[in-house]
Amino acid sequence: MLKMTSVRKTFRTDTIETHALRDFDLQVEEGDFVAVTGPSGSGKTTFLNVAGLLETFDDGDYQLDGKSVQGMNDRQLAQLRNEKIGFIFQSFNLLPDLNLFDNVDVPLRYRGFNSAERKQRIEQALETVGLANRMGHYPAQLSGGQQQRVAIARALAGSPRFLLADEPTGNLDSNMASGVLDLLSEINAQGTTIIMVTHDPSLAQRAQRNIFVRDGQVTEVQTGTNIQELLQQTAQV
Amino acid sequence: MNQIGPIFRALLRNKVGALLLALQIALTMTIIVNAIHMIENRSSMMARESGMDEANQFHLMYVGYKDSFNERVAVETDLLEIRKLNGVVDATQINSTPLSGGGWSMGLTTTPNSQDGTPVSLYFVDDHGLNTLGVELVAGENFSQTEVTYRLSNDKQWPQNILLTEAAAKNLFPDLTPAEMIGQTVFIRDDEPMTIKGIIDHLQAPWVQWSNVNNVMLVPQRGLWNANRYLVRTAPGERDRLMREVEELLLAKRDGRLIRNVTAMDEQRDDAYQDFFALQTVLWVIVTVLTLVTALGIVGMVSFTVNQRRKQIGTRRALGATKGDIMRQFMLENLLITGSGLIIGVASSIALNIWLVDTFSLPRIGWHYLPIAMVVLVIVGQLAVLGPARKAANLSPALATRTT
Ligand SMILES: Nc1ncnc2c1ncn2[C@@H]1O[C@H](COP(=O)(O)OP(=O)(O)O)[C@@H](O)[C@H]1O
Ligand SMILES: [Mg+2]
Repeated sequence: MLKMTSVRKTFRTDTIETHALRDFDLQVEEGDFVAVTGPSGSGKTTFLNVAGLLETFDDGDYQLDGKSVQGMNDRQLAQLRNEKIGFIFQSFNLLPDLNLFDNVDVPLRYRGFNSAERKQRIEQALETVGLANRMGHYPAQLSGGQQQRVAIARALAGSPRFLLADEPTGNLDSNMASGVLDLLSEINAQGTTIIMVTHDPSLAQRAQRNIFVRDGQVTEVQTGTNIQELLQQTAQV
Repeated sequence: MNQIGPIFRALLRNKVGALLLALQIALTMTIIVNAIHMIENRSSMMARESGMDEANQFHLMYVGYKDSFNERVAVETDLLEIRKLNGVVDATQINSTPLSGGGWSMGLTTTPNSQDGTPVSLYFVDDHGLNTLGVELVAGENFSQTEVTYRLSNDKQWPQNILLTEAAAKNLFPDLTPAEMIGQTVFIRDDEPMTIKGIIDHLQAPWVQWSNVNNVMLVPQRGLWNANRYLVRTAPGERDRLMREVEELLLAKRDGRLIRNVTAMDEQRDDAYQDFFALQTVLWVIVTVLTLVTALGIVGMVSFTVNQRRKQIGTRRALGATKGDIMRQFMLENLLITGSGLIIGVASSIALNIWLVDTFSLPRIGWHYLPIAMVVLVIVGQLAVLGPARKAANLSPALATRTT
């Protein structure tokens, strides 16, 4: 379970203050598949970063698995990220100098698993995304869709409770995007909670729950709502 | 440490950059090791004893310029008067001294007309020579007053008895003890026999870089040459005063001579090793600058890498790396690069040394230089990485999503 109550996040530069999140309230239940939409600059990435413990917040409360993360030190946050959260990024973020095996291995080594367990997990994760036969390849030798699958394998290998994805299909054509979404749905069906930011209404439709972020605040929307329309309305306001 | 495998494999993918840095480290090690070896070599040469009582000795030259100047009368009366001065331990005429850089050498053999002679440098002294020089007899006897003769510039004859340093005598008679060397005959100028009357412990030839610097022969003669030299040994603390007094004593005679180069022996030592000092200073500067340049090169290279990998570092942090993990990654990466540079460095250090040994007949490098240089350079490398690695560790995990 993931619960945010009145979370605020303000970016300050010399000249401007940006209220990226204001009184952000959200509760995500175990096993949810939440799609997050909203106009550009509305705070989606900020929300995901706070949820994924990549960024701190200024005010409010955030509980991950029933525990408030407020006041945790860097090491504790790193450990939580490592054990409970899997990240998927728009631009895949694979390490270009490591082959697929070593890429998936990265979080597992930080976890301190022994090599037998790591090997077993890596092979299984790559199996899940259908790339077990390319473990020795390097990211540059793969298509975008394949790279994102490796990233998903890397996120999955540590058996996280939460999968956070920021526009995971943003750099993919619709065919590949659909494939990635199939994969995420499967993973969700196995019990992993997924929060996915997307600008693609048709992909958002496939999630079991949709939320819409506007000016740093959440609105719950009915799945199947015409998000395109919502976006246009927002643009007019 | 469990990150080492992937770091190593990633390095192999970026061989060129890593190899260039490794080569720089190898070059640095090679030059540092050999430079320090040369510095130490010079230091040990400078630490060699001349065999004299340097702190309490000085010498001076005198040159007669009037026809009326009688060298023989001068040397006889001068030495008597100098020896009587309060604080003078002893005085002798001598043609040259250790550390002076100028002197006379001859070859000695154990059989007449033999080809391979033992080179020895010569000091002409009287029966006060040993005491003035401050050398000890190991065997045999000192010259007696009566066997001291006078030598003219064009004399070719050699006196009957000589004294040798133990080192010179060992060259001639490797199998004899000092006592057995007494009375042995050696030959000078092919077939002129001389008898070893005594063996002295140690005295250096005038040339500090001469390979036979410990081979010295003392000859019981006084020179009647254009320019002559006195060596004076004083009681401790009296030398500076006596340097003035002896000069004044000789000048007061107004017998038509010039006094030149009144020189304390330790001043002479500084002069003799001035080039060594200069070389050592230059080498130290090179060692320091090179180490600094290498350290700065590492700082620059790692800073550049950190900047290039901001997103990767953010991604690693997102995947669970602590700040310490990021620090360690860069330290380990540097350790691997430095390590391979140092392995190349061991080989090239030895290669350069072999070349120096062959070309400049420098001694072989001591093996202990290599591990010391390796440890020092590893520490330098790790210290150099510390700053950029800390900067990397402090990068925000949010860079994983915020950079494109
Ligand atoms: N590091 C930052 N410094 C200053 N402003 C930021 C920073 N990151 C995000 N912002 C601002 O916060 C707001 C929300 O950004 P973001 O969460 O990235 O929006 P979205 O992902 O919905 O496009 C934007 O106005 C953005 O310019
Ligand atoms: Mg965004």
